Amino acid sequence: MQEQFLQQIEANKGILFKISRSFCQGRADQEDLRQEMLLRLWKGLPRYDPAYAFTTWMYRVALNVAISWQRQEKRNSGRIPFVDGHGEMADGPDGTHQDRYPLEDQHSPMILLQKHVAALKELEKALMLLYFEEKSYREIAEIMGITETNVATKVSRIKEKLKQAILNDKNLVYGRS
Amino acid sequence: MDDLELNALWKEYDRKLEESRVLNLQAWAVQRQTFEWLQTQKVRSRLRPMGVFKGWAVFLGVIWVLFLGLLAGGDHGKHPWFTGSIGIIFLFNVFAIVAYIRQMALIRQIDYTDNIVETQEKLAALQASTLRTTRIMFLQTPFFSTWFWNERFIAGSGLAFWAIAVPIVLLLALGALWFYRNITLANANKKWFRRLFNGIEWSPILRAMEYLKEIEDFRGR
Repeated sequence: MQEQFLQQIEANKGILFKISRSFCQGRADQEDLRQEMLLRLWKGLPRYDPAYAFTTWMYRVALNVAISWQRQEKRNSGRIPFVDGHGEMADGPDGTHQDRYPLEDQHSPMILLQKHVAALKELEKALMLLYFEEKSYREIAEIMGITETNVATKVSRIKEKLKQAILNDKNLVYGRS
Repeated sequence: MDDLELNALWKEYDRKLEESRVLNLQAWAVQRQTFEWLQTQKVRSRLRPMGVFKGWAVFLGVIWVLFLGLLAGGDHGKHPWFTGSIGIIFLFNVFAIVAYIRQMALIRQIDYTDNIVETQEKLAALQASTLRTTRIMFLQTPFFSTWFWNERFIAGSGLAFWAIAVPIVLLLALGALWFYRNITLANANKKWFRRLFNGIEWSPILRAMEYLKEIEDFRGR
């Protein structure tokens, strides 16, 4: 069982990396969070229902752990992970990336989207992570524990909010330069 | 900016990370760590919501209860008001200790494999349950003003007993009942509530209460 579990985790490790990246800043914290996720996945394995896809169950456990972690640690408020010049995750001095990126990159829509998703409330962030991972509304509803209609409404509202926030940031920079 | 664009931006970031091979480089470490944990079985979770606060509360509570027990037991019923008052305070505190231990056990048993909203709601409710225990604890207040009563004090004080001592007890009883009825989630944003629970030990509980509201909104109830 142990071997099978590890194979499944290995095949889907991207899920853990993506979630930890969105909920935690700093490599050490992300590693700690992934350890916690693995621990909870292993402990929860006897309750895994094969009627659901392994990845659905994995998302459920990992997101639950990530949300609880963030609420407990309170390390991430307003701070986001980003990629340094070598493409690795790095900590910014104050949660910004001005030391690492030229101005146009700091305010590139790609980075702004990451920033605004990271700043969402925990449940909204979990929802959007699933959406961006192209999970169906049905699967998102199963993982989150809300109705499909509710998923659709919330995704649409949050997307609008994100778009608006990105546009506002871009306008701000454009105004400055 | 359309939907497609947001998705494309997300994927672009993912692609940059993939290109950097962060996942591949770290994958071996993940697997090795997992093996180590599974083999040693010494893994301890770092997720202990409210565990420290409740743990300390139980520790101090036990000392307090032992002290009260010694006081009440040592009197051998010679002073009924004293034994009665201390005995009632003792029972309230035993109740609180049992409630805290139960809440700690339930928090540790939280099933992270349930759906997200349900799990988070259970966790937040358990964290906020400290407040439920606290409001019950308010009911012990009047007994802090009766433990020193005795027949000689009642008879010797004359009118002062009825004019001062009894009204104080009644006032404390009314105050305790008021707090018992009003320390609820609905009043969490009121000024008196924020002032009463203003302290580092209360902030996680207040946050849990706010989170419960947030979950309710998220559910769209």
